Amino acid sequence: MAYIKVENLKYRYPNTTKLALDGLDFEIEKGSFVGIIGENGAGKSTLCQAFNGLVPGFFKGAYGGKVLIEDTEVAKTTVSKLCQKVGLVFQNPFNQLSGAKETVFEEIAFGLQNFGVPKEEMISRVDEVMELLDIAAYRDRNPFDLSGGQMQRVALAGILAMKPEVIVLDEPTSQLDPAGSEEVFAAVDKLAKSGITIIMVEQKLEKLAEYCDKILLLHQGKQIVFDTPEQIFSRADLQSYGVNPPAYTRICQAFGVKKENGCYPASLKDALALKDLFPGEEAFCQEKVLLDNNKDMKNKNGQIEDSLTTDESMELTISCKKNVFDIEHLEFQYLENVPVLQDINFTIDHRPTAIIGQNGAGKTTLVKLLKGLLKPVGGSIYYGESDMAEKTVAMLAGEIGYVFQNPDDQIFKYHVIDEVMFGPQNIGMTKEQAKEKAVAALKLVGLEQLADENPYDLELSERKLVAIASVLAMDTKVLILDEPTIAQDWKGRKIIQKMIRDLSSQGKTVIAILHDMDFVAESFERVIVMAHGKVLADGTKEEVFAQKDILGQARIDQPYLTKLCQQLGYKKLYFSLKD
Amino acid sequence: MKSISLYVDKDTYLTRMHPFTKLCYILTAVVASLIAGKLWAFAIFIGISLVMLISGKIMKKVFPLIAFSFTILITIFLIHGLFNHENANLMFQLGPLKFYREGMMYALRISCNVLNMLLAFAVFVLTTKPAELVEDLEQAGFSPKIGYVISSVFQIVPQMSGTMNTIMDAQRSRGLETEGNLITRAKSFLPLISPVVMSSLINTRERAIALEIRGFEAGQKKTYLREGKMKTSDRVLCLVMAVVIAGAIVVRIVF
Repeated sequence: MAYIKVENLKYRYPNTTKLALDGLDFEIEKGSFVGIIGENGAGKSTLCQAFNGLVPGFFKGAYGGKVLIEDTEVAKTTVSKLCQKVGLVFQNPFNQLSGAKETVFEEIAFGLQNFGVPKEEMISRVDEVMELLDIAAYRDRNPFDLSGGQMQRVALAGILAMKPEVIVLDEPTSQLDPAGSEEVFAAVDKLAKSGITIIMVEQKLEKLAEYCDKILLLHQGKQIVFDTPEQIFSRADLQSYGVNPPAYTRICQAFGVKKENGCYPASLKDALALKDLFPGEEAFCQEKVLLDNNKDMKNKNGQIEDSLTTDESMELTISCKKNVFDIEHLEFQYLENVPVLQDINFTIDHRPTAIIGQNGAGKTTLVKLLKGLLKPVGGSIYYGESDMAEKTVAMLAGEIGYVFQNPDDQIFKYHVIDEVMFGPQNIGMTKEQAKEKAVAALKLVGLEQLADENPYDLELSERKLVAIASVLAMDTKVLILDEPTIAQDWKGRKIIQKMIRDLSSQGKTVIAILHDMDFVAESFERVIVMAHGKVLADGTKEEVFAQKDILGQARIDQPYLTKLCQQLGYKKLYFSLKD
Repeated sequence: MKSISLYVDKDTYLTRMHPFTKLCYILTAVVASLIAGKLWAFAIFIGISLVMLISGKIMKKVFPLIAFSFTILITIFLIHGLFNHENANLMFQLGPLKFYREGMMYALRISCNVLNMLLAFAVFVLTTKPAELVEDLEQAGFSPKIGYVISSVFQIVPQMSGTMNTIMDAQRSRGLETEGNLITRAKSFLPLISPVVMSSLINTRERAIALEIRGFEAGQKKTYLREGKMKTSDRVLCLVMAVVIAGAIVVRIVF
């Protein structure tokens, strides 16, 4: 008999009219690894909360159908009883900590204390999970001093220590660097093999394809299909549900590389198993199925210059040649003798630039310095001709835009449109101008229909776009984005990608911190790799992604597409597929 | 992370002492000297507190406290020395200012009292981790919910000030001038309030879920990583202090 049984599950949040979950029906075997995918608003998080009784126990609302875990009916059991059986890890690591413990060790033991686990067992269990998740080094640190990725592993450890039979993870790696998320996946996979049932919501489909036994595809609260990864990712109608197939599947689709059962391979391993079916490098170069992105960009620039008058294009070329930022011997530290940045030297020009690196490498600190929010401890940053040290942040607001990682830190008006108009009005635009800019910015991020909503009622992904729009509306020459793709589904990522291309073709400088290498490869020209407060590599993406040893040092992986092409034996680096 | 507790992280006999023993000491120092009502009783306890602070290597942290209290104590001496209604016998004269014995004695008594309490509390506060105290209280039967509220304050207040700085940065980034004169600063403070409150509310909801899924409401008897039991030395000390209080009562009655 199946271990988890969901029977015609329906749920509606209080004070809403639409069903968040609409007639779900599926069964999960014990010890299997199940992925849940779908666009934002599909009901993924709601379903996660239905496994451990938060829906309906905590949120109330209208509930129908049944969720059975072994023999326990979820809706009829209290959350505190269920949580020994079903653990939940969610997106924001910060809010998952108990908030009452001063060390990582105590934090992990918090749940065990509540269930009266004897001291000796408590210590051995905490030690065990710390070892498993590689966090033993932080054992005596304050959990709130850790970086997002480290915190997320502490949160997972806190749940794991309770030895649940099922672990539900709601986008646990969205805030982690590639190496960090790989660690979480590997740890979770280990757990699945030890007999724990894993249910995971995730946007990183390549990873799901690699690890999952089965995947559930949701769309607007309805169950579309529950099947193996390759069956699901081979569906032709996948994009209509707001899901883009994994990179490996896309490339196989492009070449018509199919398995014997008629499915496209979904993971790197499966794709490489069919190596013989791929054409030689020359063949597809001629076919132009894969575009060398660099050439593509050059063409685009060419087209733009053609369409402009000679004067304008001259101006554009000149302004493009100038450096936007000059950074010389930059040093920074928050605490005495704990350097965060050491001797950073580079210039930033008009090219869209991605800054990549591990959690805690100093990326956010660097962009905060560029924005002027922090002042250098040593060295200098020149913006154009002027020294940043002499300006206040507000003076530069009209020149340099900065979108924070967490949208909730910057949203404070009660209507989306007011929020977006706040910046432009501050830098001296009239109300009419500001409104015009705000509407245009909202249109660009695809939220014009939400202009009169309260931002706090929106989903995290939409709030993030509101935050981006609110800076876009200021029409700054430089735009700095701190992890813009967090919580975004395929649609949201496409919007951001288009925005970056548009801005850069208007001669604006876009700088972004990113963990998503495929997104970097598709949208950026220049890549800066950082680790431990230093710049390890700096150059075009072709140059940077070719240096495997440096990527290894910075604990970054190549983009999926690039990796597959290389392992197929192709010599050049490829970054994106033609649509 | 900046902490709002005054605890000084040093491994001394004072930090290892059970929090209840130190609470006992505050009680004894305050009650016994008041009951005894003699100036020498105050002097003894102030002396003991000072010895503990020095041997516990935290004297440096106490200086600002003492310095601050002295500004108040000096005013007390001035007011009572000059104007106490029982003033009769002249003690000394500074120019036109006449200081009287009765007022000065009264001020001395108040000062000793204040200093005594201050130092006794300093011994406790500077050597006790709030989290440890709360845990010990819980183990002695205190409600874990109230315990959680107390210890989370020590974690969440510094976080809120962190959030506030981030939000201020976000607003500066969008052209709100926050640096400059008092009016500019005051103006920039208002738009801070709603995001700080809203984000705290959002966080609170998520944290409630986080506590729920870690069995905070399980209603089982909690276990602890640290045994909260008092050591023999702690018990002996508490007994000694009980004797001291009894002694103070004797002093009061007999002398």
